[in-house]
Amino acid sequence: MSILIDILLAIIMVYLAIQCLLTPRLIQSVFLFFAFGLGLALAWVRLGAIDVAITEAAIAAGFLGVLFLDALKSFAPKVSVKQDNLEDIYKLPRRNIKSLILPRVILVLGLALFLFIALEAVWMIPDGGGLTASAEALLPQSGVEHPVTAVLLNFRAYDTWLEIGVILLGLLGVFVAGGIKLYKKPGASKPDPMLRQVILFVTPVLFLFGAFLLYIGKTGPGGAFQAAVLWGAIGILLHLGGKPIFAMIPRWLFHLILTMGLGFFLVLGFLLIADGRTLFEYPPAYAGLLILIIETLGAISIAAALTAIYANLNQMEEETNEVEPTT
Amino acid sequence: MMIKEIITVILIVVGCFFFLAGTLGVLRFPDLFSRLHALTKADNLGLGFIAAGMAVYIASPWAALKILSIWVFTLLASSTSCYLIARFQKEQEQPENRKEQE
Repeated sequence: MSILIDILLAIIMVYLAIQCLLTPRLIQSVFLFFAFGLGLALAWVRLGAIDVAITEAAIAAGFLGVLFLDALKSFAPKVSVKQDNLEDIYKLPRRNIKSLILPRVILVLGLALFLFIALEAVWMIPDGGGLTASAEALLPQSGVEHPVTAVLLNFRAYDTWLEIGVILLGLLGVFVAGGIKLYKKPGASKPDPMLRQVILFVTPVLFLFGAFLLYIGKTGPGGAFQAAVLWGAIGILLHLGGKPIFAMIPRWLFHLILTMGLGFFLVLGFLLIADGRTLFEYPPAYAGLLILIIETLGAISIAAALTAIYANLNQMEEETNEVEPTT
Repeated sequence: MMIKEIITVILIVVGCFFFLAGTLGVLRFPDLFSRLHALTKADNLGLGFIAAGMAVYIASPWAALKILSIWVFTLLASSTSCYLIARFQKEQEQPENRKEQE
C-alpha cells in the first residue's frame, strides 16, 4: 500500500518538475513550483527526513514562493486587462528552433552526466550506513539528543555557520542591487482592518510555534532554520500589514540583529581555538547550552535576513513603479 | 476497530469529494469571484472532513487537538487570503469604490 503512495508521489513530482519548466506562462510556472515544493516536502516525509521536509516546505515552497509571487508582480501588466489578453502577455517569447540545438545538446549531455553521477553515488553508499554509527556513538557528547541537530550544530557546525553566511550574502546582494537607503519608507502599503486583525492574532502564534520548533530541535525534528522561517514570516506579515519592523528600529540595531548569529558563531569558534581546541569543538559540559544560544541567535538573524530580503525587494519594486507608472 | 475504520474512510471520501468539487469549480467557473468562492468554501469543508477522518483514525485526544488546530489555521489563512484577493480584484475593477471607503 505505501509503495503505491511512493510511486504515485514520484510520478507526480517528475511530472510537476517537467511541467514547471516547460509551461509557457510564468504564473503557471510559479504555482507549479509551489506544488512541486510541497510534493518534495511530502517525499522527504516519506523518506523519514522530517527536518528536511519542514525546511523544504517552509523555505522552498513558502519563502521562495513568496519571493517569486512578488517578482511576478513586476512582470504583471500595470493596467488591468481582460483574461484573454493576459495569456499573450505572460507568454514567454518563442525563439526559433535552430538557436535551441546547442543548448539542447548541452542539456542532454548534462543530464546524462548527472544521471551517471547519481547512479554512481547510489552505488557507492556503503551498507553500513556511512558515518551513522560513529555519529550515534558520539551523540551523548554533543549536548543534544536529536542526531540531525547534533550533526548540524556540533559535528559539522562549520556547514551551518556558512549557511547562515550564505543567507546574509543573499541579503547583501539585494542591498547592492537596490541600495540600503530604500529602507526608509514606513507605512507604504495601506493597512486593511481585517488583515490587521488576522496579523494581530497570528503573530504571537507564529512566534510561539517558532520558539517551540527551535527548542524541540534538541530532541526531535526542528531547529534554527525552521524557526527562522516562521519568525521571518512574522516580519513579512508585519511588512505587508503596513508595519515594516526594521524601518522602525535604529539602523545599528538592525545590523546587530542581522549579524549576531554569524558573529556569535565566529567569536565562539575563535574563543574555542584560543582555548586550545579546534574550531567549533564545544566542551561537552556546555555543548547543549552553547548550541541553544547559537540556534536562538542564528534563528533571529536568519529571520531578520529573510524579512529584510523580502522587504527590500518589495520596496525596490514600489520605487520602480513610481518612476514609470504605466507602460 | 472495524467501525472506526469505516467512519474514517467515509469521512475522507466525503472530504475528497468536496476537494474535487472545489477543483472543478476553479476550472469551470467563469470569473475570479466565483472561483474563489468554490476554492475556499469547498476546500475548507473538504479539509475539515479529511482532518476529522484522520482524527478518528488516530483516536488520541492530543493528536485530534493538533489536527483541529491545523484545520482552524488553514481556515483562517485561506479565508483571509480569499478576502484580500477579492478585495484587490474589486478595487482593480471599480476604482471609485476605493474613494468612498477612505
